[in-house]
Amino acid sequence: MHPFSILTLGIFVAGYITARWDLVTRLYELAIFAWNYGVVTRAAKGFAVLSLFFLLIFLPVERLATRESDLHPRSIGSGISAREQLRRRGRDGLMRVFWPADLPRSDLRGVVVGWRNSALDVFVLTILEEVEPRNVEFALKTGILLRDAPHPVSRIYELCGQLAIHVLGLSNTHESVEVDPSWIRVTIGPGRRVPAVTCSRASSIQIILFERPHPGRMQYISLNPITLALGDKHDSFRHDAPDACEDDDEKEARRRKEEKRHLVEKLKQHSIFKRVPSEKEKALAKIVNQINWAWELEKLLQKNVSRIGTRPKRSLSVSERVVESATNARDMLVVWIWNQFTVYVWPVIKRMFVLGLVAHRIAAEVLLRILEWRARPRYAALKDVSATAQQVEIRLQQFCYWPMQYVTLRRRENDWDSVTTSHPDYIRFYNSLWLVANDVIIGMALGSYIIDNADRVAQQISQLLTEYTVEALQSSISWLMGWPAGLKLNNELAVFLGDLFLWVIDYWSSFIEALRPILPHIIWFIGFSSFAGASMPVALFSDLLSILTVHIYSFYLASGRIYHWQLNILISLFHLFRGKKHNVLRNRIDSCDYDLDQLLVGTILFTVLSFLLPTVVVFYLNFAIARMVIISLKAVFDTLLSCLNHFPLFALMLRIKDPGRLPGGIRFELRDTQDFKHSINGSSEQLPSTSVIYLKSVPLQFKAMFHQYFQMGHRIRKHYLAPRVLLCLITGKFVPPLNRKNLYSLQYSMLPARRAGVMEMWNAVNSLPEPKKRIAPVHVPVLANGMKLPSNYRGGKPRGYG
Amino acid sequence: MLTTAPHLYIRRPSPTTAEFTVTTCPPLTVPLRLLLLTLHLARALLFSAAILVLYARFVEPSQHHDHRHHYYHHQGCCTPIFPFQLFLAGDVPQFLTTLLQTAHRSQPGIFLSQLTAPLPDWAVAAASLAAAYAAVCFRLHRTESVLVLRGLGIQTCTIRGKWGGCFGTQTRFIPTEQIRDVLINEAFRGFEVRYYLIVVVEGEEDVVVLFPGLLPRRRIVEAVWRGVKGCLFEGEEDGKG
Repeated sequence: MHPFSILTLGIFVAGYITARWDLVTRLYELAIFAWNYGVVTRAAKGFAVLSLFFLLIFLPVERLATRESDLHPRSIGSGISAREQLRRRGRDGLMRVFWPADLPRSDLRGVVVGWRNSALDVFVLTILEEVEPRNVEFALKTGILLRDAPHPVSRIYELCGQLAIHVLGLSNTHESVEVDPSWIRVTIGPGRRVPAVTCSRASSIQIILFERPHPGRMQYISLNPITLALGDKHDSFRHDAPDACEDDDEKEARRRKEEKRHLVEKLKQHSIFKRVPSEKEKALAKIVNQINWAWELEKLLQKNVSRIGTRPKRSLSVSERVVESATNARDMLVVWIWNQFTVYVWPVIKRMFVLGLVAHRIAAEVLLRILEWRARPRYAALKDVSATAQQVEIRLQQFCYWPMQYVTLRRRENDWDSVTTSHPDYIRFYNSLWLVANDVIIGMALGSYIIDNADRVAQQISQLLTEYTVEALQSSISWLMGWPAGLKLNNELAVFLGDLFLWVIDYWSSFIEALRPILPHIIWFIGFSSFAGASMPVALFSDLLSILTVHIYSFYLASGRIYHWQLNILISLFHLFRGKKHNVLRNRIDSCDYDLDQLLVGTILFTVLSFLLPTVVVFYLNFAIARMVIISLKAVFDTLLSCLNHFPLFALMLRIKDPGRLPGGIRFELRDTQDFKHSINGSSEQLPSTSVIYLKSVPLQFKAMFHQYFQMGHRIRKHYLAPRVLLCLITGKFVPPLNRKNLYSLQYSMLPARRAGVMEMWNAVNSLPEPKKRIAPVHVPVLANGMKLPSNYRGGKPRGYG
Repeated sequence: MLTTAPHLYIRRPSPTTAEFTVTTCPPLTVPLRLLLLTLHLARALLFSAAILVLYARFVEPSQHHDHRHHYYHHQGCCTPIFPFQLFLAGDVPQFLTTLLQTAHRSQPGIFLSQLTAPLPDWAVAAASLAAAYAAVCFRLHRTESVLVLRGLGIQTCTIRGKWGGCFGTQTRFIPTEQIRDVLINEAFRGFEVRYYLIVVVEGEEDVVVLFPGLLPRRRIVEAVWRGVKGCLFEGEEDGKG
């Protein structure tokens, strides 16, 4: 510091002290006070105690800790992080090797290449034969081995969850060859199904063998069963459910479910601590993807083996050149014609098709708007009332959805085959196409039959109509009017009711007579409509049935209402009889003092009504049974419709043809290691304890395919075969038909909740990729440097898949 | 004699992989093997008898006429052929019909058709179908297993009912990531208390019961529980953790 500034500072301090002299005296007084009251001695005592503690406890503990840490030294890192703990827990020396069971087995020297999911968790993709590991490592780093990939390579890494493909080890090398400690040594040969794997770091080994799914055949594996229905549908239906009449049993079921959930939640509290899953356990989803990619990646790697190392140059011989130019000339011609076609003809066809599609879409939109129109939000739309309208709506929705589905499927072509996300879409698309085609075929057969025999069919139907809806009713009513089965009914009431119904039936039969001449035309129309699919006439017949049995429905309603009233009156009169009455405000039975005349009149009325009750009951029962028969007939029609519309036919065929395309989960099989160990005995090396496990894909269960049908059956059974319905029938209350929306959730399960708009479709269709230009093929003979398998010796194209 | 109380087999090729099998099949000794063989033969016999009765009652009369016609035409050149020649020639349907015909004309076949003659059609059909089903699908021994793979998960293999044949087995794989815990639970069943193993699965509304069909005794359940705990989770040996 500069002497001058020191002088300045000194002058300042001195000045300050003289100016504030009272501060100094204050401090002096404080010191004297402290000394007088023993503060200094107490501070000294505290210091002495603390140093004693330090000497007696902290120093020995520190010495002990140092000695202990000298005994168990830790390599790097001072604090123990969670990751470190995880890694340490993984150190049980268990190595997991995923090995494709269908990998070619040869006893040549090779380099094992694949994914390294964690230190002791490897996934083998392939064995590159007769190459140097150093070269392979270099080639993997520079990406030479993934050259000529048909689609972007980054997609592989993204879906397989790894940043790079690694060299995992060596196969069939001699003991003396020095390898990296993390590498595996594999012994394999044509005679050995299961490879013998050793690794210097592993104490026990799981070899998991799997058959690679063939992506070209759209096979894949997945942890969860493939969903054939669209997922988003169910939620929207669940949202609609509460405003519809929610039944008591439904509430009951929900309550029970809630209770069970509560119990399970309690059970979960039994486990005290939550285990942190290790790297290996979390890798399963990634591994499933890697298995799905294994086939395609292996082909790509094997194709590029020849690029490793230096490539010998060689010019073509004369005969090869002649062959090449000849093939080139032919190919050039084909390419020229193809180019002309794609440039001039194809765009015109495509544009016309797209325009037609959009026009169709607009017409469909208009029709759908009409079908879905509701006068008020709670009112029924046309499609809720009529089966035909609903059928038309389903078809139109399908037509609207197809282009979108097709576009998603076409996008698939621009991606690797191993991307499995669109496979359920594929199945759904072709299932609905196939069902419509089937429907049309069956419909043509049915339609041509109906049109050819329109008169006979019409005659049959009108005969059935008069026989069952008019004459049978008439005869049964007249039977009820004269003491049926020996029951003595009230003559006057029976005759009154019977005459009433007979009169209406007479009127109705005259209507049917009027209808008879037009019936052949209607039948002809139905027959004609069946060219749009067999489901159309079924839906029309279902509607025709409801229209032509309107009178039975109204009879049922009327007689049911009368019966219900009478029962109610009887019940309240019975209360009067006992001196009680129903309190409406509190919804309970109160005692009540009636006058004598009230009691008298009530008793007389009670007697009269209870004697009249049997007469009303028989009429009610008659119409209720007729109504039930009609409901079950309609149920048959509806089941037929749902079979025609949504039978999982394509899925069933796929399941029979190739179960690998419909994965329903995975399954492991523990193999005996006796024979495995036996075959090792020849070699000198000692194998670590090894378990051989086969990973297999479980095909989708048939039960899962028909899951929705089971659900629908369950719903119908619950609605109609419940004690509640019986109670309704007995008390004469109206049995509500099953909500159409509930019944048809199956029908809509393969359609999206919201259909794409016209503009959306226009954009989607126009965004389709152009067809690939055919480029004149240039044959570069593949000159093998590494050893190549003959099956892979095919230049650019992969082998044709079956 | 043919079945025992459920007992446990453990297969453990490496300390990290184990399969626990609970079965009612007693250890296979030579007499037992012979007994089982005869049992299987009896089942095969029952099945073929049922098929033969069905054939004799419902197919043969309609074909009888046909074949006489057939023989009539080829009587000159046709010597009685052995059915196995047809089988070797690869004509399986023809082989089967010939075999059935031969069996039908043999002594036991005639005896069978005489035996079933007084019964009505529907009774014959129902009885023989039931017999065929029983012969094929009856399961003498019941075996359920749990496969534990460290780092992967637990796989259960269960059997539903006694009559499922080979269709009743269901496998289910639960990844370790989803396993919250493996516990022994107790429940009333009839007039007894049963201990059973459950797997609590993350994000599922039901717990998974291991060995649901056999529900082995407590000794076995405890052994399996210790094994599963020691095998499945790293750093927990013998379920002490």
